[in-house]
Amino acid sequence: MQSKFKGGLLPYILLLPTLIILVVFLYYPALNTFRLSLFRKPIRVGAPLRFVGLNNFISLFESASYRNSVTITLEIAFAVVVIGMGLSLAIAVMAVQPVRGAAIYRTLLIWPYALSPAIAGAIFLAILNPQSGLINYVFDTLFGFRPDWLGDPKLAPWAIIAASVWKNLGFNVLFYMAGLQNIPGDVQEAAAIDGANAWERFWLVRFPLLSPITFFLLITNLTYSFFEIFGMVDILTGGGPVQATNIMIFKLYVDAFENHKTGPAAAQSIVLFLLVIGLTLIQFRTTGRRVHYGA
Amino acid sequence: MTKRLLVLGVLVAVLALPIANSVAQEGENIQITFWHAFGGGRMLFIERMVEDFNYTHPGIEVQVEYKGSYRETLNAAILAAEQGNAPHVVQIFEVGTQLALDTGIFIPAEDIVGENVDLLMLDDIIAPVRNYYTVNGKLNSFPWNSSNPILYYNRDMFEAAGLDPDNPPMTFEDVEEVCQTFRETGVAEACITWPLHSWFFEQWMAEQGALLADNDNGRAGRATEVYLDGDAARRIFEWWTGLYADGYYVYSGSLEDWDGANAIFISQQVPMLITSTSDVNFMQNAANENGFAIGTSYIPVPADVERNGVIIGGASLWLTADHPQEELDAALEFVLWMGNTENAVRWHKGTGYFPVRNSAVWVLEQQNWFETHPLYRAAFDQLLETQVNSATAGAILGPFLEIRTMIEEAIQSVMVEGVSVDEALANLDEMADEAVAEYNAGVEE
Repeated sequence: MQSKFKGGLLPYILLLPTLIILVVFLYYPALNTFRLSLFRKPIRVGAPLRFVGLNNFISLFESASYRNSVTITLEIAFAVVVIGMGLSLAIAVMAVQPVRGAAIYRTLLIWPYALSPAIAGAIFLAILNPQSGLINYVFDTLFGFRPDWLGDPKLAPWAIIAASVWKNLGFNVLFYMAGLQNIPGDVQEAAAIDGANAWERFWLVRFPLLSPITFFLLITNLTYSFFEIFGMVDILTGGGPVQATNIMIFKLYVDAFENHKTGPAAAQSIVLFLLVIGLTLIQFRTTGRRVHYGA
Repeated sequence: MTKRLLVLGVLVAVLALPIANSVAQEGENIQITFWHAFGGGRMLFIERMVEDFNYTHPGIEVQVEYKGSYRETLNAAILAAEQGNAPHVVQIFEVGTQLALDTGIFIPAEDIVGENVDLLMLDDIIAPVRNYYTVNGKLNSFPWNSSNPILYYNRDMFEAAGLDPDNPPMTFEDVEEVCQTFRETGVAEACITWPLHSWFFEQWMAEQGALLADNDNGRAGRATEVYLDGDAARRIFEWWTGLYADGYYVYSGSLEDWDGANAIFISQQVPMLITSTSDVNFMQNAANENGFAIGTSYIPVPADVERNGVIIGGASLWLTADHPQEELDAALEFVLWMGNTENAVRWHKGTGYFPVRNSAVWVLEQQNWFETHPLYRAAFDQLLETQVNSATAGAILGPFLEIRTMIEEAIQSVMVEGVSVDEALANLDEMADEAVAEYNAGVEE
């Protein structure tokens, strides 16, 4: 039974703290970003903003370095989402098997998620150090050479991808495990009786039943790979070498807070925002339609 | 009921806290904030100096904060000023000078002392330092930590390779030759490192007497164009990237990674390091701990070009304007104290930054300091022998931070992406010109 509040005001008062936080930290800055993207901020602190119309956007798309940044962002995001989700599904399938000490494995798998991106980045920085890192110790012992993971423009994006996938693995595995545990045993048994082998049982029965989880993870991983891997880039490569990992969120940070180009940075923020919204809408229109809810 | 009382109690306590704090502060010392860019050993040194100041200056309390790199410190100060919350004293690196002036948040040193210009003891500041920080005919900031790059070398490795440890290489060509010897004798495969930092490029431009920008390096008027694709720049790029291609020059892989270069030298992977003289103290300790002897010398220059000398590097202290008079006075007292003769001597000995006052040099000479501590000498002699001209005065550019990154990426693009030197320089010059134009458009004249 649904209970009702007396009077119209109380619910709004109860909602007020949340609304205040949303307005102050989300809506106001977002609206301000839209406004700033049409202005240039003079170097002199406190001087009035100068209206430039859409010039910030026009010069963005004329800039080769910005177009490069968009391409790199899409490439890295694609790899992080596909590799991250594929890997975690595989791990989750293995981790839900009834094995000895399963609880311990499962806990350990989720751990990386508890770290902040900065800490995870620092760990990878140490591991990937070309001279003293663990990975190159192994590489040197096995193959006799030491790749420059963070200094080579071909390898650096992969270092970012690997670190970002690892960092988010726990989150993905957690949801996939929960999803897998919710699949009723009888459907699988029925499939087995019908003669489906393990491979078919997975792809024809379990995977479709996981589709709500997969869809949810697709959206969260997308936002993760566009926004949250900032910390990795900041710590590991600083956008380099030669802009090879200069993803959009990092570039806009540098332009806003290091180069003092507030207007162009706001414009970049809008472009990024629209890009992610667009991708998410496409997901809802396409993949979203194929999602199966309920067994 | 008790629960409700408890909640009420907590609420009252929380609300009362700030009031209690502000009451406690009344009638207390004048609080001054000081932001600087030094971590590690130097941070501890600065904290000790600030403690001394607070101890000897009743009524003033300086609060010191480490804000990250030079870039981060300057940017943090500008952002804080935008929010009306600027620190009183900020340490700003030399290439931030033009930007600092253009933001308008600082008060020039000569303006704050007004008629008491004696306080600055202008004639006591060593000439190259005073020249660097004098823009528009005014000393704008309080010189504090000044440095230039020197060559550090591992004397033991020189001896092992059969080289004379009293004659380190002086030219670009010498370096290549020495590197070859190190490799042939099996002492070291790679032979030299320095951070992939634009600062070294700028120094080598000055050594060749080349300007970085028009209008006398931006000192006769605002710079409108950079000179980054001339012969001087090409010589540096070709030598630097050539050493890398031969495997003689190594670096950590990251830009502006001072610690990474130091680590390669300290672990004796290479016999030579070019870095700031401000690391003399640190490097001497590190060499002792790792059981080898070091020497210091001038940085190498191209053999066929006359040695012009080096630019003042390092940073100075700036005062922000937007504070009550009594706080400005206290801040002034603090920066004058930080740069006085006594502290200039102490700071030099504790780091390797050279003394910025003639009186401090005199004190050090009376103590026979340079004779007994020859490692500290190279940077100082290198500076004294520097010719006074627009090239060695150093450029001041508004978007210098952005251009530094461009220079570093241009060098990196030749090294790791196989871009030709000519193409890299042409791109660099064009991009930097655009940055200057865009910046200048954003300055209110």
